[in-house]
Amino acid sequence: MAEDLYSVLSVPKTASAEDITKAYRKLAKKLHPDLNPGDKAAEEKFKKVTAAYDILGDAEKRGRYDRGEIDASGQETPQQRYYREYAGGEDGARYRSTAGFEDIGAFSDLFGDLFGERGGMRGGRGARFSMRGSDAQYRLDVDFLDAVNGTKTRITLPDGGTLDVTIPPGVADGQVLRLRGKGNPGIGEGEPGDALIEIHVRPHPVFKREGNDIVLEVPITFDEAVLGGKIEVPTIGGRVFATVPPGSNTGQTLRLKGRGIKTKGSAGDQLVKLSIILPDRIDDDLKRFAETWREAHRYDPRRKLKEQA
Amino acid sequence: MLSEWDLVARVQRLTVTRFRVWIKQGLIKPADQTAQRFSEADLARATLICNLEDQLGFSEEDVPVLLNLIDQIHGLRSELLCLLGALDDLPPDVRATVKLRIESRRGGDGGQ
Repeated sequence: MAEDLYSVLSVPKTASAEDITKAYRKLAKKLHPDLNPGDKAAEEKFKKVTAAYDILGDAEKRGRYDRGEIDASGQETPQQRYYREYAGGEDGARYRSTAGFEDIGAFSDLFGDLFGERGGMRGGRGARFSMRGSDAQYRLDVDFLDAVNGTKTRITLPDGGTLDVTIPPGVADGQVLRLRGKGNPGIGEGEPGDALIEIHVRPHPVFKREGNDIVLEVPITFDEAVLGGKIEVPTIGGRVFATVPPGSNTGQTLRLKGRGIKTKGSAGDQLVKLSIILPDRIDDDLKRFAETWREAHRYDPRRKLKEQA
Repeated sequence: MLSEWDLVARVQRLTVTRFRVWIKQGLIKPADQTAQRFSEADLARATLICNLEDQLGFSEEDVPVLLNLIDQIHGLRSELLCLLGALDDLPPDVRATVKLRIESRRGGDGGQ
């Protein structure tokens, strides 16, 4: 350990901090035990190089080393357990890949048989042929409000299994959800395929969807139209009160900000189309009022129509 | 077995967010998938990924490539060790024959 740390990293004593890091990385990439499994010599060198960098790479420690306050061994850091110590054992088995053996199996009958067998015995590991499973396609009918607000549902598969599906808020009719790894099983070490779920949204009796806006027609009375007022309106999130301005007309639209479909970044609006509805039975009061009102306030809503056609 | 927090706490410079990205990418596969519990191998592997990125300066794109190669090497090493173990069990004369065969094949490959 009496070796000079600068010579371990092959840098001059005057090297900048950056040069030291660069030199260290260059050596470490070559020597890292996990990049050289089984190479004892490389491991020893790596330890030396890392120990040197632990001191020279730290401005304060480097200063103390330069001043002779600490020796080349510095403070030994607790020993790291390298991944390679586990990689060969039972615990590391799930990470090992025999992808590199596929062609060898094809060249050697003995190897082909052995690896095939091994795959069977050990539950897929080391199987010679691996193939990703195919995607499974399903169709799911969703109620309008569930599609709009998002929901969780469970579907039963043809084979009796079940699949939990999270329907994101605002899912559109015809949209396909992909559930990774929920499709058909793979062969060998191949991953399972995905489940593709095509969403069909059932129409709603009153709500219609336009982009992220919800459109709905709301009847108002003749007096609400003239005088204005507050009316109760259903929205996809429950009932709210909307203000009808005085002098509102059929076909006019109220915009309820943020009452539409909420997606990640934004929220649509609800558009309320007003429609004036007269009472079922026109009583004498109303009749008389209309007659007197007409005398003094004749107006022609069809003037434009006549001009145009 | 370690919980996610235990493991993250034991690796320098590792954060939960960073660790979860690795799990999502499949770089780390919890030893116990259902309980999301981790083994010593997972801990060592997380340390390795940290080392590759922080100490050795590999980029986030490099690491999956490196791990894939490392996993292949360990897969090959494990099969090779298994094969060698099987050869060791054979009678001495058979082993000698195998040794000769190997040497002649190496020679035939262009004198490596």
